[in-house]
Amino acid sequence: MRRKTHDEFPKTREEEEMTVKVRFFARFRELLGTDILAEPGSGTVLATLVRKIAEKNKEGYAAIFDEHGNFREFVIVMWNGKRVETGDAGKTIIADGDEIAVFPPVAGG
Amino acid sequence: MLSERELERYKRQILLFGEEGQEKLKKAHIFIAGAGGLGSPIAIYLAVAGVGRITIVDMDTVDQSNLNRQILHTDRDVGRKKTVSAIEKLQELNGDITINAIDTMIGGDNCDKLVGRADGIVDAMDNFPTRYLLNETAIRKNIPLFHGAIRGLYGQATTIIPGKTPCLACIFPKAPPKEVFPVVGVTPGVIGTVQATEVLKYFIHDGRLLTNRLFIWDGREAHAEEIAVERNPACPVCGEKHTTSSRKPARKKR
Repeated sequence: MRRKTHDEFPKTREEEEMTVKVRFFARFRELLGTDILAEPGSGTVLATLVRKIAEKNKEGYAAIFDEHGNFREFVIVMWNGKRVETGDAGKTIIADGDEIAVFPPVAGG
Repeated sequence: MLSERELERYKRQILLFGEEGQEKLKKAHIFIAGAGGLGSPIAIYLAVAGVGRITIVDMDTVDQSNLNRQILHTDRDVGRKKTVSAIEKLQELNGDITINAIDTMIGGDNCDKLVGRADGIVDAMDNFPTRYLLNETAIRKNIPLFHGAIRGLYGQATTIIPGKTPCLACIFPKAPPKEVFPVVGVTPGVIGTVQATEVLKYFIHDGRLLTNRLFIWDGREAHAEEIAVERNPACPVCGEKHTTSSRKPARKKR
């Protein structure tokens, strides 16, 4: 729902409805789907958003996050095409139009 | 110089690379780490393309359960060393090239020596600890590392050029967990041929290498994707602090 704002107080970017796209790859995609459009509230950080989406599938969540809710250390997280250190994902505030990609590297040969 | 037979053998790709390109391949020496799922298509295609010298290393014996993907080996090779099986097949595919097959485990103590004076390393391993060793050797010797890895119907590949691209430790600072991974032969087929294509392009100086990009293949979706990857200035392997003392001066390019 678009929030009603008074004409004298034009809405800031943060107050607008946000749409963010989250893409999962490979095994994460099998468990959680992909190209998920989310509408997080303003000030939401990247890790929280991904956690919330992943919670819908227990196995999917466990594949990406450890028991403390942190990204597993081998998981690759991209934010608008740029790599985000998983340790910084809890501080990265997302904005409207952002695209997040979560990818599990593979190791077989 | 290419012999008459070589000119005939490589006729169709000389249309692509020219005789000059074919000469470059003939002079090249590639090191392939692993004669398994990835190593099989890589070695086969590089051999038939005429890469002049191939060194392939593996410590394993052919097992029945390898045969769904390791196409260098057949039923009659079960129980034989993979190196013996590999050298036989590769030499049969192309008698005009030199093949060394070394039956040993790649470790921290022998990696540099095994790679020797090869012009590039192909990562056809099935585990990250050995991949990290190959990465360190590539950085020390200032030669490219052609990375590939697979699981199930998924795969990834990238080409690492020391000093110019992120190294394997920049891209994957932490190894994915160890497991008995599911796999069907077509996936190492896709990723292995991507790696082999990179090797040929590198030697011939043709096209645009898979550098600073991670190629991601999703066979389940029939979808390929790439993500940009960057150097980590604080990388313990190739970061600024570590390169000057450990890396040899750039070898003259062919």
